Amino acid sequence: MTDTPAIKVEKLVKRFGKNTVLDGIDLIVPRGQVTCLIGPSGSGKSTLLRCIALLEEANEGFIEIDGEPLGFSSGDFGERNRLPAAQTRKVRSRIGMVFQQFNLWPHMTALGNVAEALVTVRGMARKDAEERAMAQLSNVGLRERAGHYPSELSGGQQQRVAIARALALDPGIMLFDEPTSSLDPELTGEVLNVMRDLAQSGMTMLVVTHEIGFAASVGSKIVFLDHGKKIVEGKPDEVFGKPRHERIEQFLDTYLDRGAATLL
Amino acid sequence: MSWKLFWLLVEASRLTIILSAVSISIGFLLSSVVCAAVMSGNRTARMAGKLFVSFFRGTPLLVQLLLIYYLLPQIGLNVPSEVAAIVGMSLCTAAYQAEILRGGFASVPKGLVEAANMCGFSPAATFRRIRLPIAVQLTIPALTSEAIMMLKSSSLVSVVGVIELTRMAQDLAASTYRPLELYAAAGFVYLVINIVVAALGLGLERRMSWGRL
Amino acid sequence: MTFDLDLIISFLPDIVRALGVTILLWIAGSILGIILGFVIAVLRRYGSRTVDLALLAPVELIRGTPFLVQVFLLYYGGPFIGLSLDSITAGLLGLTIYGAAYYSELWRSGFIAIPKGHIEAAQCVGLNRRQTLRRIILPEMTMLLLPSMVNMTILMLKETAILSIISVPELTLAVSALGTKYYAFVEGFAILALVYWALVEACSAMGRYAESRLSKYRFAAT
Ligand SMILES: Nc1ncnc2c1ncn2[C@@H]1O[C@H](COP(=O)(O)OP(=O)(O)O)[C@@H](O)[C@H]1O
Ligand SMILES: [Mg+2]
Repeated sequence: MTDTPAIKVEKLVKRFGKNTVLDGIDLIVPRGQVTCLIGPSGSGKSTLLRCIALLEEANEGFIEIDGEPLGFSSGDFGERNRLPAAQTRKVRSRIGMVFQQFNLWPHMTALGNVAEALVTVRGMARKDAEERAMAQLSNVGLRERAGHYPSELSGGQQQRVAIARALALDPGIMLFDEPTSSLDPELTGEVLNVMRDLAQSGMTMLVVTHEIGFAASVGSKIVFLDHGKKIVEGKPDEVFGKPRHERIEQFLDTYLDRGAATLL
Repeated sequence: MSWKLFWLLVEASRLTIILSAVSISIGFLLSSVVCAAVMSGNRTARMAGKLFVSFFRGTPLLVQLLLIYYLLPQIGLNVPSEVAAIVGMSLCTAAYQAEILRGGFASVPKGLVEAANMCGFSPAATFRRIRLPIAVQLTIPALTSEAIMMLKSSSLVSVVGVIELTRMAQDLAASTYRPLELYAAAGFVYLVINIVVAALGLGLERRMSWGRL
Repeated sequence: MTFDLDLIISFLPDIVRALGVTILLWIAGSILGIILGFVIAVLRRYGSRTVDLALLAPVELIRGTPFLVQVFLLYYGGPFIGLSLDSITAGLLGLTIYGAAYYSELWRSGFIAIPKGHIEAAQCVGLNRRQTLRRIILPEMTMLLLPSMVNMTILMLKETAILSIISVPELTLAVSALGTKYYAFVEGFAILALVYWALVEACSAMGRYAESRLSKYRFAAT
């Protein structure tokens, strides 16, 4: 089944108390492509990503990764049955995630950060793990920085280490939650370049970003979220091309400096 | 004041250091248990842990020491007063250290744990490789302060007849009738010990520091 | 111990009086310590470098030595330098000096923690130095320091027990005396512990309440 989507989200609802943050989201993330999730702050983008990563548990709806249910399976009458933890862990292991705040472990070097899971989770010998980690660091251009602690790296370098850390585990899908939002503008480029290369290599990516220029040029699909609902979805030229949805218009106005100017 | 008297104080400070070191170590082990209880999912364990911390932090160490000193023989444990002192000091510092540890774990940024989850870490591995080392690093300054606090508090065991630094100064002050010099000298010895401990703590902190979080 | 109600009633007045001494010493020592600590902190921050260093030494001496030794020095050593104090005065003085050293460090940490930008902003809108201190720095600091001030004040209560060793007629001394008289140490000290515990819990509950009332002044996330 070559056309099974990498991620399929069905009628996902997530509430925090009385606050409905995701209000019945349907989403298909096709394999081997870059899907970009955009929308105003507070619209639920991070929450959607975190539900897909199972860092949050949705209240309703279903998520499938490569056709396999994640967290809950759908019963005969559409009811949700909780899946065993082992199955969930297995499915989730196909997902890598990159956070806005990098979340590198401060007590390990760049190399240690990348090698750690290979040793602790995959049971590789430390030496082999470090070899592989070194290769990953080279891919993101940080071979020379392998021995540095996160506190000794710039934000852009930290984020590239974080990407290498996720990639070292061979995920089939990469989730990015505003990977450049806490970076100074001059450091944004180096991270976006790494992501561009990754996209070119055929990685399935779901990217939350305010970098409209990146979304328009690298994304094969744009999803616009507002107040927990999917408002618009389509190819970049459909979403950004004129005539546009009125909310998109407003949104682009706010992000002129993030590459949106070229689209206007 | 003669060197001989001062030397007697220095000798007596050995017991101060030993009592404190032993209590702090026992207290640390105990505090891990208490902290685990406080952070556990079990309601009873959590309540018990909190009650322990609240009681030993909420009452004067002097009263705890007196209570234990008189309680132990009554429940059939006729132990030397040094042992009673260690029991009291260990329990008290365990409560403080447990609270420090709990705070350390609470300060581990959530994102670091989430990153471990995303890398497939089991809860045990997350604890061992991520939460524990970071929490320990975060708590070293507070644990150093607690060690110094305990060194100072150990002066209270003089009231249950342990001849440590303060009690030696007291005895010598009574026999020589020179309290001014003797208590000043005793204070000086405490100060030196505490400066050394603070320096050790700082060194440890520096060695374990990987920069800011 | 046989539980004798008449006996308890007969020594109740003594206990209440001793409890009063404890609470008075605690409150007076804390208030004086907080004030003296503030003065020290302000002098160290806004005074010359010499003043700062001259105050650093005593503060660190107090913080580096046991309270008991300080009290002994004051009470038994004092007369040798012409400072003959009765036990309550010596106790209060000792408590005040001890508290001031610690409180001054808290105040200092407060001064450091207030962002320079807040003070600059106050000066930009035309507040003078005193107004800035009164209207900006102190309120911000109250919020910032409340938890640690409450903690320190709780410590002060517990330290009053140590004054029993120089026979200040406070609660621990009164209970020890009764313990000796009726040979009921365990019962006495157990009840004593409960009384302190209750006072401490009440104090921290009040601190938490004040904190929740003030929480709207918390620093906004940046
Ligand atoms: N852990 C949480 N608890 C309560 N509310 C939350 C939590 N996480 C997010 N929210 C709320 O959910 C909404 C969407 O947040 P988020 O998904 O982070 O938006 P976005 O990433 O699009 O900016 C916000 O209103 C936010 O306040
Ligand atoms: Mg977000």
